[in-house]
Amino acid sequence: MKGLIAAYNGLIQYMRIAAGILVFLVFILIVVDVLVRLVGLKPWSASVMVVEYALLWFAMLASPYLVRAKGHVFIDALTTLMAPGPRLVVEKVAYTICIVSSLIFCWYSYSVLHTAIVEGTLDVRAVDIPLWVLILPLPISFFLVAVEFGRYLIGVDTMYTDRTETRENV
Amino acid sequence: MEWYWAFAFLLGMIIFMMAIGVPVAIAFLTTNIIGWLYFTGWDPDSILQVVDNSTILITRFTLGPVPMFILMGSIFFHTGLAIRVFDGLDALFGRLPGRLCFLTVAGGAIFSTLTGSSMANTAMLGSLMVPEMQRRGYNKRMSMGPILGTGGLAMIIPPSALGVLLASIASIDVGRLLIAGLLPGFTLAGLYAGMIALQLWWNPKGAPAYDVEPIPWSGKLKLVCTNILPMSFVVFMVVGFIIFGWATPTEAAAIGVFAVMILATAFGVLTTKAVVTSVDGTIRVAAMVFFILMNSTVFSQLLAYSGASAGMIEWATGFDVHRLMVLLVMFFVLLLLGMFMDATSMMLITVPIFFPLAGHLGFDLVWFGLFVLMTIEMAGTTPPFGLLLYVMIGVAPKGTTLFQVASAAFPFLVCDTILILILVWQPGLALWLPSLM
Repeated sequence: MKGLIAAYNGLIQYMRIAAGILVFLVFILIVVDVLVRLVGLKPWSASVMVVEYALLWFAMLASPYLVRAKGHVFIDALTTLMAPGPRLVVEKVAYTICIVSSLIFCWYSYSVLHTAIVEGTLDVRAVDIPLWVLILPLPISFFLVAVEFGRYLIGVDTMYTDRTETRENV
Repeated sequence: MEWYWAFAFLLGMIIFMMAIGVPVAIAFLTTNIIGWLYFTGWDPDSILQVVDNSTILITRFTLGPVPMFILMGSIFFHTGLAIRVFDGLDALFGRLPGRLCFLTVAGGAIFSTLTGSSMANTAMLGSLMVPEMQRRGYNKRMSMGPILGTGGLAMIIPPSALGVLLASIASIDVGRLLIAGLLPGFTLAGLYAGMIALQLWWNPKGAPAYDVEPIPWSGKLKLVCTNILPMSFVVFMVVGFIIFGWATPTEAAAIGVFAVMILATAFGVLTTKAVVTSVDGTIRVAAMVFFILMNSTVFSQLLAYSGASAGMIEWATGFDVHRLMVLLVMFFVLLLLGMFMDATSMMLITVPIFFPLAGHLGFDLVWFGLFVLMTIEMAGTTPPFGLLLYVMIGVAPKGTTLFQVASAAFPFLVCDTILILILVWQPGLALWLPSLM
């Protein structure tokens, strides 16, 4: 069991690292694209599409880590006013909603993925790419997001930190 | 179902889930699932549409500036370039009464042109300036007010990550909205400086003058050349490229990151640790934004599909009132929401309702976008739950109360209101620069 947990934690961290690398590659790709254009050469025709795909992939790869790192925006104006008992109940309800919704999305995105693979659907952009490439991270990430909320539900940790703690935001 | 029931059902579901602490992104996701099921007669295939639309909506090149602007600001802070700007400005002010307040406004305005985060700005200015102000005998009102006001400038002065987000959700031109904030942002900084001067005239003891070591003009010039002017190179790379149409906002944002990295290399402060920390911070914030975005935009479609949007617009425009009255109502709704919600959440809830209405009433949507950003900035410093107030408490000396922070912010909220009135009176202040694009 310990090995499984370690492997799972490793997966979340590797996905986080992959998301970071992807963001950095997007930065490099765009800069190279602009520089190539400025010197009068023809930029890579697929660069816009790659950036668009990378935006979805990086968000999905980072999403389980985001739950683990308590990086989601939530409103605790009401729950902080509650007594510890009812507050705990409300927190558990909130986690349950998160798990159920994530699993539903996971299931239906898997369904879209399956159809895309079976029917060989193409995503028509600057360059045609099989649709499954775009959809692939959705069921995996949403499943892991559900697992992460599950950790909170069974009491491994709590998502609700102190309000005065500065949370990163836009 | 009548539009008002659909409206109450969908909005009520979101607000209920947010109130019990469900993360904003999941609150929208759950509402989308239940809403689409309900309005399509419990057809499970409608959820496939939710998946499809969510995917399409966040794979747009125009969203590229969100991670890039966040990365640019992060590198700017983590490499210590931000502190260099401050050192340069510090040398310029000499023995001016209230110098630290003016320094805060000038530094904050420059930070805002290099970062897109109000939270980062407020936290940085707060932790840097408040201890020094306390040491120099400034009262709490004079030490915290300018920081709270100036921290919010990042929302409207480009590059603003929140601006990109708003433009994406409201389907308006990202570049035009970003550039529209430039002149109003600096006008606001001027109003803040005026307000500080007024407060000093009213109570000179609030920010006493103190002796500073005189720096010769040659030394000042050197500091400006080494610490401030190079930053204008970054600003030009971002804002200039957008205005002159040399690059799209996404490209300009990536070029901005590149420019900050060149500067950091030139100053010898670009370390692997700074880059890794910045990228890690970026994925946390940007992934959160994208996660929300993919769910919230489907919510706008749901509002339209259920008939709630059209019904609400018809109802709101059915009254024989001036459009400025409607604007005033929207202003107070945003301020009210800001008492309980963060900027992203209130934007996601109000944009699908307010923007179609504003368009119907004949407001320029870029102008209206700036109005919304300004109001959201004000809402961030509105008690009891304005997020910037809590950031300030976090970095203020122990024992600082919410009341003290909120009352320090009040004069700067007056400046915000004055700027909004100026924008209503002279929309050209915001729309002139975008008209050149």
